[in-house]
Amino acid sequence: MSSEHEGEAVGRIVGGDSASLTIEGNNGANLELDELLVSESSSSDYTVLKINNMSYGPPTNPVVPDAAKSLHDDRRQDREEQDHMFYMARPVLRYSEGKLGIPKVIPQLWSEVRRANKSDFEFLTNNSPDTVFIGKIRSGSRVMDIDIRLNGRDLLTHHVMIPATTGRGKSNLVKVMLWSILSSGRFGILLLDSHDEYYGRTGRGLKEHPDSTERLAYYSTDSVPGSFSLVINLESIEPDHFEGILAFTEAQKQAISLYHRAFKEKWIEAIVRGKEIRESVSEITIRVIQRKLRRVLGIYEENGRIKCESSVFSADSGTTTLVDIVKSLESGKTVILDTSRLGDDGELLIGSIVAGRIFSLYRNYKGSGELDSKAPVSIVVEEAPRILSEDKIAEEGNIYSTIAREGRKFNVGLIAITQLTSVIPRTILSNINTKIILGNEMALEREAIINSAVQDLSDQDRSIASLDKGEAIVSSIFTRFAVPVYTPEFEQFAATERKPRGMNQGLIM
Amino acid sequence: MGRFAHIADVHLGSNREKSMRDLEMRAFHEAMDRCISEKVDFTILSGDLFHTGIPDLTVVDQALVKIREVRDSGIPVYVIYGSHDYTPSGTSVIDLLTTAGIIQKVVKPHLEEGKLSLEFTEDPRTGAKLSGISARSNGLERKYYEILDRESLEKEDGFKIFVFHSGITEFKPEELSQMETIPLSYFPRNFSYYAGGHIHKAGIYKQPGYDNIVFPGPLVTGYGKDLENSARGEKRGFYIVDFDSAVRKIRFVESTAFSWAYLEFDSTGKSSAEFSGDISSGVEAANVEGKVVVLKLKGMIESGRTSEIDISRIRDRLISRGALHVYLNRHSLFSREYSPVNYVETDLRLLERKLLRENIGNYRGNISSLTGEAGTANAEELLANMKQEQKINESKADYASRKRNEALALLGIRDILEGDSS
Repeated sequence: MSSEHEGEAVGRIVGGDSASLTIEGNNGANLELDELLVSESSSSDYTVLKINNMSYGPPTNPVVPDAAKSLHDDRRQDREEQDHMFYMARPVLRYSEGKLGIPKVIPQLWSEVRRANKSDFEFLTNNSPDTVFIGKIRSGSRVMDIDIRLNGRDLLTHHVMIPATTGRGKSNLVKVMLWSILSSGRFGILLLDSHDEYYGRTGRGLKEHPDSTERLAYYSTDSVPGSFSLVINLESIEPDHFEGILAFTEAQKQAISLYHRAFKEKWIEAIVRGKEIRESVSEITIRVIQRKLRRVLGIYEENGRIKCESSVFSADSGTTTLVDIVKSLESGKTVILDTSRLGDDGELLIGSIVAGRIFSLYRNYKGSGELDSKAPVSIVVEEAPRILSEDKIAEEGNIYSTIAREGRKFNVGLIAITQLTSVIPRTILSNINTKIILGNEMALEREAIINSAVQDLSDQDRSIASLDKGEAIVSSIFTRFAVPVYTPEFEQFAATERKPRGMNQGLIM
Repeated sequence: MGRFAHIADVHLGSNREKSMRDLEMRAFHEAMDRCISEKVDFTILSGDLFHTGIPDLTVVDQALVKIREVRDSGIPVYVIYGSHDYTPSGTSVIDLLTTAGIIQKVVKPHLEEGKLSLEFTEDPRTGAKLSGISARSNGLERKYYEILDRESLEKEDGFKIFVFHSGITEFKPEELSQMETIPLSYFPRNFSYYAGGHIHKAGIYKQPGYDNIVFPGPLVTGYGKDLENSARGEKRGFYIVDFDSAVRKIRFVESTAFSWAYLEFDSTGKSSAEFSGDISSGVEAANVEGKVVVLKLKGMIESGRTSEIDISRIRDRLISRGALHVYLNRHSLFSREYSPVNYVETDLRLLERKLLRENIGNYRGNISSLTGEAGTANAEELLANMKQEQKINESKADYASRKRNEALALLGIRDILEGDSS
């Protein structure tokens, strides 16, 4: 719809209740799902409505004041010759006398509505560098030139979930968010990149950011100039890191605990070498643990030397990799770990090691009063059910479930990307305070998303199903309503946002 | 089959005491002699041959005698600058030895259109091709790596050696986690051997695309942590490498110039008198003859003061029992009657760096070379530069003038100051 129609009435309220108003559309209005409308009493008192459904129906026959009767009759005649469209819209925001809030009253019956425009949201604009760009406000398929930026500290430490099916723009959204986080330089991001798609090894990626030299660290097993080798020293690994990743029997756990106590950070080497300890441990148990460690770490003994099949885990290199990664995150850098050449277990283990170290350090910082001097950290996890599904955290949990529950207190958050929201327990979902919902065809998943959303999205099932690539609905405790958003294509966004700091006005919801 | 020796971080002149200076020179002479007896085709000194860019001439003279002997035996000596060989004026003793034809620098850079190209030096006898990058203080050589034309280096055929003097991020030891390092990805791939220096711990590392990344560590050094590690049994020496089209064998040659003894005493729960008694008994029981002794005193003395431990008497006793030299480490020794210092760092260089980093913020001006990390690095270089003593036959005025010019050049503020004065 062209902007010349902004400000013109597109329909009028003909019924409904506080949850859903019915709007009879004017001829040719062609309103869309998720379109934002405004019903205003005056320029300082108006209500924003969001269309959640639409249908055909017979024309209304309103009782209208005498003064307007003749005009009404003319229109009625016109309407009877046309198809009639009715739109169900939820009042989502009310601006009254300089105050913004959830609507406690509904607009007057028969009042006209118009399309929302930029000026309706201008009072919210803010150019703080501490914000994360999500996209632009979308009204139906019409993109308004208003940025949606959320306070980074709030957003990231209260966790984010991005539920979507394949091809709906998950990676694009994350790239765009990370680009703006790189511009800010105030938040540490750990990204486990299982498809090696964010750095931009072959195409455009985060490496193109003007501050990437100072603020982006890329670790890969297949290095490119300027990157770091993804190599973790065996002595950095602790028994807890395997929780939720590698299943051990009680006997095996006990044996590992004994070796850890006896050999400290050299416990893996001691098990692989089959060193004896004072306590009795069955030889079979040790052999099974050796096999499991070899499968995940690729570690074995040959001619008295500890060797690793892959270059990722090492007995002599990567001693400071964890220290370096943590240092980068603490100072507000984005760290990408390219895990595309690792098996599932290897990738999850590395994530667990780094996440565990971060969480533990930040918990200590809180205790020592240093937390405020460290950048808040968020960990991006793709295919989140691998570590956050019911079965993965059923017994003792893992570091990710711990972060989901307790991370906020220590400024550590998660950005969980998933196709399957339904397998993530409610206890975890309820701790994730922002959901950036992309398109989803699966009814079961939509139901899980709607049930876990911050705002009441019960009437938005169709909206979610019809979200196109790049379109999203942001439901967050930091937004006043579930905001329809369009996230631009990364390449286009990156080209226009070379230096967004302090220059880009956007909404802080 | 070819053979070469790979030596690094000799740091000749690092020790202040004559006895230790003699020992470090003895270790260097032993290594050079071994190059001759092992009939190596060439020797690589991968940085920090001397502890300063302009060392004491006595030290230079003693080293030169042996290096020339090696060269006269038909063994070329290939070198690069280490972080200690660098001088703000741009000319160090390494350059003098190069000009005199005693040693050969393998760094041959060309800067074109923002790219750094390196030429190879071909060893005439074996055909081995050497190239490399010298060091600057505090890892400032990183910018050279960032603009390095790796492709041309990787394309070159033959047995190739890359000589460097930098820590590599992936291989730095945990105790050096604060050290400025270069990511391995900046190094050219597919060299047969990477002859490293700067890391004071011997080790051979591999990563995909990079075989035989080798750090020999020092022969002897004067740093606290190095001394302690040496005395506790860490092997010191250098590598001898056999090769044809590829590396066939890498052998560590341990330095036998002298041996070490490590004595550690814990005062926890003892009075100063009891602790003194323990140390005396321990000293009498230890075999220290012909050894360099590192004496570490630690713990919290229950009663009495640390000053009541008669260190001089203990040191004299060790010397009288045949110790070549005694290093004392009491950084971790405290007494309940004396508040411990808040800041302990056994590596002097790291301590200096931390203090400079903490205090650089006090500078309120806007000269970029004096602020932030660059300011810290420059301050550290300045400090190292100012430690260099007046040369023999150099007048005080000349020394002052030289130091002033070097300082201005190092800090990049000559124009500003001269502008002010004019």
